[in-house]
Amino acid sequence: MSDSKVLMRFTGVGGQGVLLAGEIFAAAKIKTGGEGLKTATYTSQVRGGPTVVDIQLDDEEIYYPYAVDGDVDFMLSVAQMSYVLFKDGVKPGGTIVVDPNLVHPTAEDRKKWRIHEIPIITIAKEEVGNVITQSVVALAIANTMMNAIDKKVLVDTMLSKVPAKVHEVNIKAYDLGEEYAKKAMA
Amino acid sequence: MATREVISTGNELAAIAAVDAGCKFFGGYPLTPSSEVMHVISDLLPKKGGVAIQMEDEIAGICCVIGAAMAGDRALTATSGPGVSLKAENLGLAQMAEVPLVLVNVMRGGPSTGLPTRVSQGDVLQAKNPSHGDYKSITLAAGSLAECYTETVRAFNLADRFMQPVIVLLDETIGHMHGKAVIPTVEEVEAGIVPRKSFDGPAEEYFPYECGPTEPAVLNQMFTGYRYHFTGLHHDKNGFPTEEIETCRKLIQRLEDKVAMHEDELESYEEFMMDDADVMLVAYGSVSLAAKETIRNLRAEGIKAGLFRPITLWPSPAKKMKEYTDKIKNVLVVELNIGQYHSEVQRATARLDIDGLFKVNGRAISPQEIASKVKELY
Repeated sequence: MSDSKVLMRFTGVGGQGVLLAGEIFAAAKIKTGGEGLKTATYTSQVRGGPTVVDIQLDDEEIYYPYAVDGDVDFMLSVAQMSYVLFKDGVKPGGTIVVDPNLVHPTAEDRKKWRIHEIPIITIAKEEVGNVITQSVVALAIANTMMNAIDKKVLVDTMLSKVPAKVHEVNIKAYDLGEEYAKKAMA
Repeated sequence: MATREVISTGNELAAIAAVDAGCKFFGGYPLTPSSEVMHVISDLLPKKGGVAIQMEDEIAGICCVIGAAMAGDRALTATSGPGVSLKAENLGLAQMAEVPLVLVNVMRGGPSTGLPTRVSQGDVLQAKNPSHGDYKSITLAAGSLAECYTETVRAFNLADRFMQPVIVLLDETIGHMHGKAVIPTVEEVEAGIVPRKSFDGPAEEYFPYECGPTEPAVLNQMFTGYRYHFTGLHHDKNGFPTEEIETCRKLIQRLEDKVAMHEDELESYEEFMMDDADVMLVAYGSVSLAAKETIRNLRAEGIKAGLFRPITLWPSPAKKMKEYTDKIKNVLVVELNIGQYHSEVQRATARLDIDGLFKVNGRAISPQEIASKVKELY
């Protein structure tokens, strides 16, 4: 694995919209001249099955399209079953963000990883006012914590993938995500 | 070659490639993990004056593609393994009647409904012989996002050249992965299109199946005044059913030889760090990406591994594989099935000591698994 590589993993259940966040990350990294790749695995349940999105960002060519278990730098999880299934992919000392209303890490987990609790779905639903924006809140949290991509490039990429009429609400979601991430890290 | 950079998925690139290659008709039935091919082409084709239609099932999906191809258009269907099973009979019809079409199969776990959302390479032998009888399949396997585009384009050109179905194998991983691809410009693709042959003499002298012993039929576009009979039965130069002994023999021998005698036009493979390799990996499709990562890691540890990657799977690049395996003792075939191509490597190289690393649980083979196997064996 090259030194410049950042591996992120978003996990949830089918239908939560975690796929789009991965595509935005990959596209933004490519825009900056780097390499970005998103892969997802999911079950044949349309909604409710554990879903994992792997995001690899690198300055070198990426061959293997999945994040290798044990190498993941950052994981975000909004579903308990996905959390349990995929947490061991995160390297010791790596960062995990969970929605505390949905995911309950053990005391042992908290020793092994830096775990932050941010109520992502509540923020999207109540503070932004649209639950669909949870993937943008997640995007902001991941990027703020990993310092992966220049914020402007990432936000512009995100806006290019959503209809103009919802630009404002998505910018609000990004800003809130960033604010919560900074608070969690403080 | 003039190129452009795009950010996309393998399935989307296959659909875009078809349209850029002049495909005017898509018929099919959505099937995970291939559905995005249909989604995308349903949007693109009408804007280019083409037609995309969701039929009532997989069988009707390929039947209408055969019709569109007979009418003279480049035509595509896309599905996954269970869909190919349903289309098999009509793939045989297209082989027998020499109808050019392209089938994109995005492989998932099988047999039967298997593992719909999971990756597999279990359809490699199915692609070789989807239908009963003797014919020679042409099957291409994309090993990168860019190849989802370029191999689909090549498939259309080969279909028209050889007048038969051409199968493009993607797999769930490569079909759904989303990233950067550097692909030829539309102008480059258009410049490379060679239209299928047609007969322009007097209609009464037109015999579509009267051709050289290693040449494909010449099927003129329908509704242009040239008539022929279309059947899956053994047929004569007009296409009418016959049981005449020599005509039957020659027909089937020609179906074989039109491909077998022109394998040089089909051969395609990649050699990755093979120059000084003393461990040879053989992999194709998404598994070749894991193999490349493995080779990068192994070489950092001083193990000289290389990859031989067949791009045209059928007919296989047998001579080239043998050239390498005559020199290299340690050969490992890595694939997401239980040795479907491994047996072909054994055959092609006349070596029964070719090793294999196989996986069939719907999960990708990781670079670590390949590296462990290499270290365990050699």
